[in-house]
Amino acid sequence: MIYKIVHRTTYRYKHPASVGNHVACLKPRTTAHHQSARSHLTIHPRPATRTERVDFFGNDLCFFTIEEPHRVLEVEAQSEVNVEGNPLPWPQPSMPWEEAVNSVLSDHSPDGLEAYQFQFESPRIRVRPEFAAYALQSFTPRRPMPEALLDLTSRIHHDFQFDSKVTNVRTTPEEVFKKRRGVCQDFAHVQIACLRSLNISARYVSGYLRTYPPPGKPRLVGADASHAWVSAYCPGIGWLDVDPTNNIVPSDGHVTLAWGRDYGDVSPLRGLILGGGAHTLRVGVDMEPLDVESNSSLVAVDT
Amino acid sequence: MTVDLNQTPLRYGGAYDELSADGVTPRPHWAHLMQSLKAIGPDELGRRWARAERRIRENGISYNIYGDPLGASRPWQIDIVPLLIPADEWRTIEAGIIQRAQLLNLMLEDLYGPQNLVRSGHFPATLLYANPAFLRPLVGVPVPAHSYLHMLAIDLARSPDGQWWALADRTQAPSGSGYALENRTIIADVFPNLFRESNVLRLAPFFRAQREVLTNLCQRDNPRIVLLTPGPLNETYFEHSYIARYLGFTLVQGADLTVRKRRVYLKTVAGLEQVDVILRRVDDSFCDPLELRGDSLLGVAGLVDAVVAGNVKIANALGSGLIETAAIMPFLPGLCNELLGEKLKLPSVATWWCGQKYALDWVLDHLDSVVVKPAFPSRSMEPVFGADLPHSEKTKFLERLVARPNEYVAQEQVALSTAPMWDNGQLNSSSVVLRTYVLNTGSGWVAIPGGLVRVAEAEGSVVSMQRGGHSKDAWVLWDSPVDTFSLLRPRNEPVELRRVPRVVPSSVADNCFWLGRYVERAENIARILRAMMTRVRRAEEAELGCLIRLHSCLESRHSKLPKAKHRRPTAADLELELISLVTDAKRPDSLICTLAEVFRIGGNIRERLSSDMMFLIGQLRDSIHAGQGTPFLEFPSLLTDCLGLLSAFSGMERENINRGLGWYFMTIGRRVERAIYLTRQLREITSPLAEQDWSLLECVLEVADSSMTYRTRYYTTLQPLAVLDVLFADETNPRSLDFQLSHLAELYQKLPRHLPVDSKAMRAALQLLRSFDLQNLNYALPGAAEPSGFDGLARLSNFLRELGGLLPSWSNNLSSRYFSHARTLPITIGQ
Repeated sequence: MIYKIVHRTTYRYKHPASVGNHVACLKPRTTAHHQSARSHLTIHPRPATRTERVDFFGNDLCFFTIEEPHRVLEVEAQSEVNVEGNPLPWPQPSMPWEEAVNSVLSDHSPDGLEAYQFQFESPRIRVRPEFAAYALQSFTPRRPMPEALLDLTSRIHHDFQFDSKVTNVRTTPEEVFKKRRGVCQDFAHVQIACLRSLNISARYVSGYLRTYPPPGKPRLVGADASHAWVSAYCPGIGWLDVDPTNNIVPSDGHVTLAWGRDYGDVSPLRGLILGGGAHTLRVGVDMEPLDVESNSSLVAVDT
Repeated sequence: MTVDLNQTPLRYGGAYDELSADGVTPRPHWAHLMQSLKAIGPDELGRRWARAERRIRENGISYNIYGDPLGASRPWQIDIVPLLIPADEWRTIEAGIIQRAQLLNLMLEDLYGPQNLVRSGHFPATLLYANPAFLRPLVGVPVPAHSYLHMLAIDLARSPDGQWWALADRTQAPSGSGYALENRTIIADVFPNLFRESNVLRLAPFFRAQREVLTNLCQRDNPRIVLLTPGPLNETYFEHSYIARYLGFTLVQGADLTVRKRRVYLKTVAGLEQVDVILRRVDDSFCDPLELRGDSLLGVAGLVDAVVAGNVKIANALGSGLIETAAIMPFLPGLCNELLGEKLKLPSVATWWCGQKYALDWVLDHLDSVVVKPAFPSRSMEPVFGADLPHSEKTKFLERLVARPNEYVAQEQVALSTAPMWDNGQLNSSSVVLRTYVLNTGSGWVAIPGGLVRVAEAEGSVVSMQRGGHSKDAWVLWDSPVDTFSLLRPRNEPVELRRVPRVVPSSVADNCFWLGRYVERAENIARILRAMMTRVRRAEEAELGCLIRLHSCLESRHSKLPKAKHRRPTAADLELELISLVTDAKRPDSLICTLAEVFRIGGNIRERLSSDMMFLIGQLRDSIHAGQGTPFLEFPSLLTDCLGLLSAFSGMERENINRGLGWYFMTIGRRVERAIYLTRQLREITSPLAEQDWSLLECVLEVADSSMTYRTRYYTTLQPLAVLDVLFADETNPRSLDFQLSHLAELYQKLPRHLPVDSKAMRAALQLLRSFDLQNLNYALPGAAEPSGFDGLARLSNFLRELGGLLPSWSNNLSSRYFSHARTLPITIGQ
């Protein structure tokens, strides 16, 4: 499946901002299951500097600065990604989760060390007894890791309600855990907190999810959204992606942009501006399968 | 009293006594000092101690205490008896700390580079990944000359057997070297002869080397080096300003800097100036809100990217806080062997990082003999002394350790060595910790000979300046001739004469401007209040009215006088209001608050003011020491004292400050403020005054300190027009409005990038002012019919009203032109 993705972010400031320093994390990663064919970032106003850099986690970042007074910042990322069908089915059976945890501890190989760092607290995710208690209901003694992981994913999906009104980008997992409501970022944070509370390496994945129009309706441009899910490390198998928001294992409808310890490492567009005052933000994502011919009547909407 | 070793309690049980092995005879290297102290005698010692204390207060040497509700900075506390270290012993210490510095630097190079130490298991991966001080964006970023650590501090303690141990390493922005230098200056002054005779290794060569190293970090000629401070509220701000002044670097805060095109620039009043090297006192993660902590207001957005691009050097390198944890100590012997192929010369105090199973088990069994600390800096936790924990809390604490062992470090409690201390007329002994400093010169490492000695308040407690401990000087008694160079007193070597004006950061100009305004404001308030206070008790009805009009010149928004429409204020009302205007610390327009503001603003630019000026500012703040019981009649003389200090300040401002941009801004501030007050007072006398109100003229002359001028010209007859001439038009009177405007216009024009429109407006105002022909003005009495064609007075009044609006707008325009970009804090989006 080949997707053409357009991700447009627009900041409008009440007063002119004189300088802006920004980082965009909007270029899809190339993984075993998908290749990023093309990716292009259009920035308005024209940046004074623009630098690409690969971060510690291997994500492609774009640093840019705006050095002229501006009231609108518009960043449009256009990408083409080739997603190969379903990733390999998870091998069953696999080792009990306790053994998986122990084997990471003693693994000093590059992959082992790479995974190990995702066991620990990160700026936005703390490890807490209540997370461990919740996770242990799924991670019963000697249960195989993938099975326990899927069970936890499904419980979060059922116990938490999707609600875009109760949280914001800075809401802590503790708060979400209490309210049992939130959006994909919140559910991913909660699940990561649960896994790390059991010393399981887990990382935050930022990306896109293809949405389907209701039967008989045309596909709406911009109705797709940026999305987030979770990846957990299982020695012997590798990283296993799960999507607690939809209770599914990501397949050819998910496109990975970047991963990190939590949202803070991979937020799609962040920055600091001088001046500007209050601001409004609009984000529109459009994910168009290139092999489907159904774009005749496009209606623009903002999410 | 004589200083007698036998009478002084010099020994704590078990601790090493620096002074004496047997409690009676001083060790050989102390003998000379003890003899000298005896010869000087306790009375003279007491006097010298008092002199040192006074000097500390006068120089404003201070240490800010966090959590003090008043944000109080406390005077630095110093003990006059130095800690003595003989040459041989120093050589051992020096070798130990230099080796440790090399080792720590190599560790950082590996951990931010290939991470072989982690792969090989010499450095636990947990201490890397679980440590919030590990800054991932800096991994793989090359550091010039492999110098991750430009300078580091190592705290040393001596155990009962005489061995020195490392207690802690300060690797990211070590503090205290400036205090060590200040201590040395003071103590060398307290004991000039003793200091000379003792052949003490000097500190200045170290700081000279530090300046050279930083200068050489950059290839450019005359590189711009700045010292980045978190600001005046930081605990060691005094030191930042002291070091900046001593080394000749520009002291800046995050908001003074900006990153453009991947380079760092200093915002100055003349425009942006590129910065080559940053000596930082801001903690690692606060340095860049874009890539590090997004909530930091202390850093510079884009700084990491400028480092990655190789366009700025930072000392110490960003990320060096990674190994500022005691948790690494158990691994140092192995790492030393691995990286240097040597045995670790300076042992660390016994340390257990609970992240290791056997260490945790040991700590659980021996909690009573250790002190437990957080392993990582982000956890706020006071050190816990196992022995002091009540039994009831012990189990709970052990559970915490077991639940999150990675986050705790336990250290053996060291019985600190004791050294003599001058305490209220006698010698006592107290526990000491020596903070040493090592500098990376690129071609080798050098140590400050000695360092900063900190004194524990009580035996067994934690040594911490934050908790209000004393400090001492440390003298390394050398056995061959010493280099007596001092940066403060340069040697007689040929120098290139330079008159490069110092760059003035926008924030400094901002503070200079407001210092000028507030000092002038304080003077005007004090003069107006004094004029009223000397009169209010004897004022009859008409004069009371004049005083109330004078009061209105303060334009106080917090006045306690009854509103005119309700009833006319009585003399008693006015008296209370005046006292409140002098002493009420809760009233922003009171004299005491204005002086506090002068002190605060002055403190922000202390590195630019002479120590005499800082001293004056301190005295000014303390000059209003009136209490509840102060009789009203004493206030005028209190105000006179205060005015004396203000005059001394303005004298220094005129005579002791170079005519650079900072002075321009300060003087512009003064002219604007004085013009504002003058305009208000002149407006009171240009609205027609009845003859019985002419005593107001006398007040206004007195406030403007122009009574003498008037009297020599007109003897005693008070005439409104003559008063106007003196205060409005006389260009030779430094208190006249003409004088303010002409100086303002002249100085403003000299500012780089000044606004032509404002410059023009100032000159136009001056021209208009000079166009008034006072001689032919008709000063009509109220009620009298105004002869037609003579509307001069009304025009004059109009002019003053308009000027009253223009002055603040010039001040605002100046602010937004030169300062506001340095005040704006960035707004975070998308996080």
